[in-house]
Order: sequence, then C-alpha cells, then structure tokens
Amino acid sequence: MMREASDEELMLRYGKGDAAAFEALYRRHRLPLYRFLLRQVGNKDTAEELFQDLWMRVVNSRGRYEVRAKFTSWVYAIAHNRLMDFYRANGRASFLSHEESESVLEDLPAVEIAADLRLDRKRAVERLLAALGELPDAQREAFLLQQESELSVEEIAAATGVGPETAKSRLRYAVAKLRASLGKKS
Amino acid sequence: MIERRDDELSRIYRDAEGPRPAQRVDDNILAASQRVAGARGRPAGIRFARRWGTPVALAATVLVTFTLALMVFERQSGLEATAPEARRTDRQAKVLPAEPRADQPGTPSPLVLRPIAPALPISQALQRDPVEQGPGGRTVSRGDLGTGQTSSVPEVPRAADVLRKREEAKPAPAAAAPAASGERAGATQQAPVPDAQRAFDVQPPIRPAQAPASAPAPGANTLRESASTLQGAGAVGALTSSVAVPDAKERTPEKWLADIRKLKTEGKAIEAERDLVEFKKRYPDYILPEDLR
Repeated sequence: MMREASDEELMLRYGKGDAAAFEALYRRHRLPLYRFLLRQVGNKDTAEELFQDLWMRVVNSRGRYEVRAKFTSWVYAIAHNRLMDFYRANGRASFLSHEESESVLEDLPAVEIAADLRLDRKRAVERLLAALGELPDAQREAFLLQQESELSVEEIAAATGVGPETAKSRLRYAVAKLRASLGKKS
Repeated sequence: MIERRDDELSRIYRDAEGPRPAQRVDDNILAASQRVAGARGRPAGIRFARRWGTPVALAATVLVTFTLALMVFERQSGLEATAPEARRTDRQAKVLPAEPRADQPGTPSPLVLRPIAPALPISQALQRDPVEQGPGGRTVSRGDLGTGQTSSVPEVPRAADVLRKREEAKPAPAAAAPAASGERAGATQQAPVPDAQRAFDVQPPIRPAQAPASAPAPGANTLRESASTLQGAGAVGALTSSVAVPDAKERTPEKWLADIRKLKTEGKAIEAERDLVEFKKRYPDYILPEDLR
C-alpha cells in the first residue's frame, strides 16, 4: 500500500508542474479552508471570493514554496492575512487591537454543556454556531483554526502572527464563551 | 505548550452541516492551477524550442543568406578568374577599331577580327596584297583575310545580316561605281562604311583550292557566293582552311589583264576574249585599259 503524499510533497510536486498534485492538495484542504473563511466573514459570496483568492495565491506561490513549516500553517497564514485585508477594508479594526491577558482568562467561569443539548445535537449545533458568530474575530479565528486545521496553539500563534500566549488566551476565551452559550454553569 | 482541544465542543462543531464552495469556484481554481502547471510543466524540448526557436531561426536565416551571398560572390570571382583573357580581348576589341580609322579614314575596319588577328599596319597589308575593289568602290585589304578569317567565326550572324544588306544595296553602288573605280586613293575617301558591311567586304574572293592561279575558273564567282553563304551559315572555319589560303595568291586585276594581253599577243584571241569577259564579270567596275576595251 502506497503511503499517502504529505501536503508539503504535493506542493513541491505542483511547484514542478504536477497539476494532479495540486488537485489532491485542493481536495484535501478545500472544505476546512472554506468553512474557516465562511464562519469568519459570515457571508457566502465574500467567503467564496476570499477562498478563490487564497487558492490563487497558493498557485502563484508554487515556485517559491519551501518546506519551512507545515503546509497547513502556511496556507492558514495566507488565509489569515487575507482576512486581515478584508477586515481593514471593512472597518473591522477591533480585531487588530483586541488583546486578551492571562489574568482575564483566569477569571472565566467553567461551563458545562446542558444535558438536553447533549441529546439534541441539532439544537446544540445551532447554538454553537450562533455563539461562534458572536465571538470576537480573533477568538473565533483561534477556535476555527484549532477545529478546521488541527493546528497546535504554537502553530496557530505562528499563523496569526501573535505570541503563543496570546493565541492560547484567545482560544481559551473562545471555548469558555461557547460552552457558556451551550449549557449551564458548572 | 499544548492546549488540549475541547472534545465535546469539537464533536458538536463537527455535527454542523458542512458548507461547500460553489462548483464554479472549484472549477476556476483547478483550471487556473492546471493552466499554470501546463505552462510550467511542458516537456523540456518544447520549452527549449520556445525559448531558442526564434533566435535559432534568425541565426539560420542570416547564415543561409550569408552563405548564398558568398556562393554568388565566389561564382562571380570564378568567372572573372577563368575568363580574364576573353574579357580583356573583348575590351580591346571595343577600343581598338577606332585607332585605324583615326589614322586612315576610310580604311576598312576589321571589326572583331582586329583584336585576335595580329595587328598589321594597313599600309603593309596593302603592299603585301593588292587591293580588291568591291562593288561600292570600297577598298579591302586581303592581308587581313588569311589570318583574321578564323576569328570572324563568332561574328557570323552579323555577316549574314551584312549579306542581306548587301543584297539590298546592290543596285545603288553600280551607279556610284565609276567615280571610285580603280583609284585606291579615291577609294579611301569614300564615306565611312558600316562595320557590318566592312565585315562582309573583308570576305575573300573564294576560288577553288585546286584552281590554277593563272586561269581563273569560270565558276569562281559562284564558288565565292557559296562561300559567303556558307560563311553566313557558320561554316567559315572549314572554308578558311581549304579555300581562303590559296585565294590569297589569286591574281590581281593588273596581273589578270597582263595575262589577257599575253594571250592576245600569243594569238589566242578566243581565250583572251573569254578571259576578258570573265574579268568583266569579276570586276564590273574596273576601268579597262584602252587596248582591252
């Protein structure tokens, strides 16, 4: 049984002209990236525009690509930068100045998901997505990066251009708020 | 530092219906990626051809043009090298004919015969061979005939033209003949004759090679005309060797007349009369001495 090519191998092959490698890479990351963008901007058309632009940047970077980090970190960093451009263009500057501190994080109450929502998965999803939309952009991005790209906190920090502690606090904030929206206080 | 994922939240999040990008977005991205990869992933040969095709084509064009130019140049140089003598002779032929005319107006210009035939002063030629007086009273040196005959071969077509012209012009000289007949000096003062005409006049009076010099054959004129015709047809070379050389020793009119007188004095009146008729046929414009009229 052949070993499945890694993202980095595929990208390198594409850089040498292997179109099939790109297609495999695209199929592999297409849905997570699209969901990440859609849930960040909340609009399908905008998400598709950003999504297409993101992949075109990948295509155009094929010759310069070097394996310095995971492909996922690289491509989500591109997505993050594209989002920043989008936020700047739309006056959503709060994302850029929003910083959380460990002290604030420690004050957050622990929340347990309600028993009824554990049984009613559909309603739980609705409430989670609604709460996700209400999160600050940075916290939502951290949560989505963790869920969609399966990046570590360090990788999230690298992709978003912040320190690991900042990334960690954003993530914990996001989780706490989402849990709060889904249940009862523990 | 590793932050543990919230598995419960993750499970709920994954239960959410996954949105998908529109098909056209997928198509656009994949088409763009293939287009770019296609341009980059062409075989090395095609890439090489695209990169070097134009320069190589230009270089080949320049090379072919240069080679052709060189070949043409070499060919021309080769021609110059192989035929310098001919060209030089040709150039001389164009220049030389003017010289004798300047010295002796009215002297026949041997045309193309001059460059090849050894240059012979016209006075010498006249001394060596008597002058034959043509129908138009023009003087013709036979000194040029023997040597120059062969060189007249390339000019044969022109001689044929001259023959035709002469045939057309035959009646006219008959009227002008008495004025010029028999006088060498008068003959030299004649109006310049066209080169072609002179070229014809240069033709020797042809006689059979075996014919005795003392007694001109009755068919001499016929033979001469035949020779002229043959010459017009390009058979001059053959005739020159067999006919023209003995003809150079032909009797002069004076000698001929002397022979006739001799016959008369010997009492051979019939033969003398026949010879005189022949002489008149041959030299119709010649003014006969009183005793032979």
